[in-house]
Order: sequence, then structure tokens, then C-alpha cells
Amino acid sequence: MRTSVPVKVLAQLSCRNLWRHRRRNAMLLGAIVIAVAFVLLANSLLRGWQAQMLDTVVANLTGHVKVLAPGYRDDPSIQRSFLLPADYQPELPGVDGWASRVRVPGVILSERDTRGVQLVGVDPAQELEISFLADVAVEGDFLESPTDRRVLIGAALADQLETAVGRRIVLMTQGSDGRNREAGYRVAGTYRASSSSLEKVFVFTGREVLQDLLGSPAVTELSIKLVENGQRSVARDILQRQFAAQEASTWDELEPMAASMFRFVDTAMLIWFSIMMAALAFGLVNTLVTAVMERTRELGMLRAIGMQPGVVLIQVVMECLMIVSLGVLLGIGCGVLAVRSLSEGIDLSQWTAGIESYYMGSLLIPVLLPYDILRVLGLSLLFGLLASVFPAWRAVRVEPLDAMRR
Amino acid sequence: MDAHDYVVQCHGLERTYHDDGVPVHALAGVDFEVEKGDFVSLAGPSGSGKSTLLNCIGGLDRATAGTVTVGGVDLASLSSAELAELRLRRVGFVFQSYNLIPVLSARENVEFIMQLQGVHADQRRRDALAMLDSLGIGELADRRPGELSGGQQQRVAVARAIVSKPVLLLADEPSANLDSHTTAELLQLLADINRERGMTIITATHDPAVMAFARRRIGLQDGRIVSDLRDEGAGG
Ligand SMILES: Nc1ncnc2c1ncn2[C@@H]1O[C@H](COP(=O)(O)OP(=O)(O)OP(=O)(O)O)[C@@H](O)[C@H]1O
Ligand SMILES: [Mg+2]
Repeated sequence: MRTSVPVKVLAQLSCRNLWRHRRRNAMLLGAIVIAVAFVLLANSLLRGWQAQMLDTVVANLTGHVKVLAPGYRDDPSIQRSFLLPADYQPELPGVDGWASRVRVPGVILSERDTRGVQLVGVDPAQELEISFLADVAVEGDFLESPTDRRVLIGAALADQLETAVGRRIVLMTQGSDGRNREAGYRVAGTYRASSSSLEKVFVFTGREVLQDLLGSPAVTELSIKLVENGQRSVARDILQRQFAAQEASTWDELEPMAASMFRFVDTAMLIWFSIMMAALAFGLVNTLVTAVMERTRELGMLRAIGMQPGVVLIQVVMECLMIVSLGVLLGIGCGVLAVRSLSEGIDLSQWTAGIESYYMGSLLIPVLLPYDILRVLGLSLLFGLLASVFPAWRAVRVEPLDAMRR
Repeated sequence: MDAHDYVVQCHGLERTYHDDGVPVHALAGVDFEVEKGDFVSLAGPSGSGKSTLLNCIGGLDRATAGTVTVGGVDLASLSSAELAELRLRRVGFVFQSYNLIPVLSARENVEFIMQLQGVHADQRRRDALAMLDSLGIGELADRRPGELSGGQQQRVAVARAIVSKPVLLLADEPSANLDSHTTAELLQLLADINRERGMTIITATHDPAVMAFARRRIGLQDGRIVSDLRDEGAGG
């Protein structure tokens, strides 16, 4: 007849042992709680950064998915364009907003200076749905329609050109026939974006106005913002079928820098997690080994009276897992509270100038994903289990007689 | 004689330790049998091999040569898990000290071994309390070892060792940490258990008082039996 494992009494024994050394175990518990809470907090800050990165990339006229004419990415010009029906509406699920644009390189001239820029012909109503223009502060007027004959330029560009709202500027670019075209426009307004590089690059005017200048009814891009970032590949494939002659791409294909940054943050999360957990496991193993060593005689006696080594092992592992699970649960609780308390976001404005290039805005809002909580929970318990196996193994490695002689 | 009349049989039992390469013959050829219901004391100077002999009989130590059988089973044929099982179900141990789990009460300590054996909760509780009562420490059932005197702790240890009715009780210097009065009480207890329950008991001791309570006194020296005296009148 084999002995069954008396789980209840082992659990009771574990609880009593933990309580017996409550001061030491409280410290251990505290360390676990702090480590897990920090991991979760760091995780959600990094996720917040990722979310911001994504928002920035999507808003900077990229969208989650975009349709471009073949070759446009290497040589952006009105020759590489496509026609969109006047009543076009995207036919795919999960669309949050969309915009069709004409976007070509050009030159802007004021009385004072000349700059190379991107000329973007837009439908202002569409842009308010999907691009950074929804968030900019405008001095003067925003564009009113796709036929608005004025321009909206960045505040930084206005400074460089020494021009202002209501003044006239000239746009120059290559038309669809390959000849240079130019025309004069009045500045409707100047915008302030989160980054001055945006302000210096993009010059907006009505889409049809720019099409007139270029002598083409075509658009150069169709940009779509999705509700779910995760659906971008599906959306791309659908668009590719609908626009068989064009090229549909996702944001990470269009912005490889941003995409690798995005993945780097994923890696950073794992590295941070591993460091914290390794430190914790080290402390855990130390404490548990001490706890087990103190009980060498007791465990030797238990084995001498017939407790199987496996049962001793289970008891020690159980004891470790109890404190680890309690610590992990409390740690997750504290982590969630910490994240909640930062839900207004962390003001990074004094640092942002330096980190703008990493797609970070001035306000970092932590993002807590259920997936991350589950991952922290699962991995910490796994670490705890691994950390408890060594002390438990030490406990049963000693022969009962040797253990009792100590 | 039929082998089944013997609880323990040792033949040519040797146990050699290696102390830094130097062989130490803790047992150098021991032959003896213990009949069911006997009360045997092993006596002899320190280092004569008393503990080693008890440990070999209890399956805590393995013989270097010779055989040990307990209840007719040759211990050499058992795996270490099977030896643990044997100790759990057929042999009761009382050690010199550290017999009890410090975080469990007296009753829980007694129940613990039954829990390992898979005895049902009701029966466990009943048996444990009855056992503590019959050893005169029923009112201490809820105290932890740290709240008991040395003699009381050893009584709990005896209760723990015999509660599940092993065929054999092994006690290695059970009185080493006790004063003479408490020792006498503990021995009286063992003698009563031996007489009333017919439990086979083997103790190892230096203590002449302990020897007086036993029915059979085996003298050991340098790992060999040097005397074997039977006193039919003693034990009560
Ligand atoms: N694990 C061991 N390693 C080496 N030598 C040992 C070991 N255990 C016992 N011995 C030796 O074996 C001999 C017998 O020891 P044992 O403990 O059986 O004696 P004992 O009669 O119980 O002595 P005591 O009365 O002091 O308890 C001694 O010489 C001892 O030093
Ligand atoms: Mg001894």
C-alpha cells in the first residue's frame, strides 16, 4: 500500500513554519511585493511608451495601413499616384478613420527665404479623424475644405520663412507633365505640433487645390487608421486585394526605425523582468536555504520515522510557493495601484526635447495590459517554483541519520 | 524454531564506516534474534555500536555484510522508499531528542504520522487523544513541544511511535536528556506498554536503570555481543 500525499497537513505545516519565522518571511514577502510591483509598473510605463510610439507613427500621416503607388516610396512624385473614386469609402472592418492625400516634395518661398518641404493636399475633415492635425494648436485659421486655396504651415517653418498668418507664400513643385509649376497662396494659419521637425516638414493645402497645381486628379496615398493595431496585417491584405496594382503596407513596414524601436521595448521589458526576477530568486534561494538548514534535524527525523523524500520535497516547495504566491499577488495589487495613481500620466516635458526622436511625447501615460499582468503572474510563480526546488533538494539530499546527527 | 516467531533476526551483521579512509568496524559480526513481545536493552560503552545496531534494525542504516530481517523481511531486499514505508508502518522510533515537529501541538504530532499513513481524520483524532490519555498526558494535547518538559516531550514521542501499533519499537537513549525520576517514569511507561500491549521493544542505553527494566540485556563491546542475559522476573 502506497502512502498518499497528505496535502492538508503539509499545507498546515507550511503555514505554521512561515508564521514561526514571520519577521524573516515578512521581509522576504516585502521584497517579492516590491520587485513584482516594480516589474509591473516598469512594464506598464514601457507599454505606455510603446502606445505613444504607435500613436505618433500612426498620426504622422502614416496610419496603421497605407496604399501607395509602386515606386512612390523611393521616388515620391505625382507620377506615382492612383485614382480614387469621388465617393470612395474603405471597405474593410475595424476602420477608425481614413484620409486620401496628395503628397509631393516641393519648395516654399517667402519674401525672405526658401525651404524644401512636403506639400500635402488634404481633406481637413478627414485629417481631423486620423492625423496629428487633430491635436495641433493653430494660430489663424485651420483649412476649411479640400478646395481651400490657402495653406497651413508649421510655426517653426513660419519663423524660418519670416512669414505669418495672412501673408502670401509661393509653392513650387513638379507637375504631372514633368514641368515645374508654381503658384501663390495665402497663409491661413500656423500650427504647433508636438515636434518642431513636423512643423518644418509638412505644408498643408486643400487636396483639390494641390491637384490643380499638379495637373492631375490622382492621389498619392490612402491612409487608414484602425481600431486595433493587431488587425493591421489583415487590413493590409484586404487592401492589397482591392488595390491590386498598388502597394498596401503596414506602419511597421513603412517605418522600420519605429518598428525596431517598438520591438526593442518588448525586449527591454523582458530584460528588466529577468534582472528583477534573478535578484529576487537569489534572495529567495538564500532565505529558503537558511530556513531549510535550520530544520535539517526536524526533516531528518521526519524521514527517519518514514516520511518519503518526495513528500519532504513537496512540503518545502509548498512552503516556498505559499510565500511566493502571496507576494506575487500582493505585488500585482500594489503594481496596479501604482499604475492607477499615475493614470494622469507622467510629465516629461523637461526631458522631451532630448527624447522626441524616440517617438515619445511630453506626457507618458502607463498602459496596463491584462496580458502583461498574466505574464508577470505566470513568470514570477515559475521563478518562485524554480527557486524553491534547490532548497528542497538540499533538504532531501542529506541522509536522515546524518541530518539528525547535526 | 520458525522464523515467524522472531520480530528481528541478525546474522553476521557487520557495519563498517570509513573515517577519512580508516575503516571503523561499528558492528563486527552480530548474531541475535528478538522474539515477539520481548523487551531488550542494548548496553555497552560509548562507541560499542548500540546506535548502529538499532539503526540497522530500523532500516535507517544499511549493513555492510550479513543480514537483518524485520518481521521476516530481509531489509537488504528493500529499496530506500520501501525502507521508509517499513519505518512508517512497522517500526516505531523514539530518539534521544528532536522527536517532535516544533510547530505542531502534541496531538498534531501524534496525528502526523497517521496522516502520512492515510488514516481517516476522525479515527486519527480519537486514536491520538486516547494514546496521549493512556500515557497520562491527555491534558497537554494542545501544547506545542516548546511548552512541554523534556519528559513530557519524550512521552509524546512514545505516543507518536506506538499509536499506529508497529511490530517493533526502537528507542535509542530515550532517557539521555531526562533526570532520574523522569527516566524511571518513562521506563515504567515502556515496560507497561511492553506488558500490556505485547509490543516488542529494543532500547539502547548507558543507563543501568534502563537495563533493570528490560527482560533481556545484551552487552555490546567493539561491535560484538559480549553478554546476553535474560531476567524473567523483571519488566514490571
Ligand atoms: N557516520 C559515521 N561515520 C563514521 N563512523 C561512525 C559513524 N557512525 C558511527 N560511527 C562509529 O561507529 C562506532 C559505533 O558508533 P555507535 O554510535 O553505534 O556507538 P554507540 O554505542 O551508540 O555509542 P554511544 O553510547 O556514544 O551512543 C563508533 O566508533 C563511531 O565513532
Ligand atoms: Mg548511540
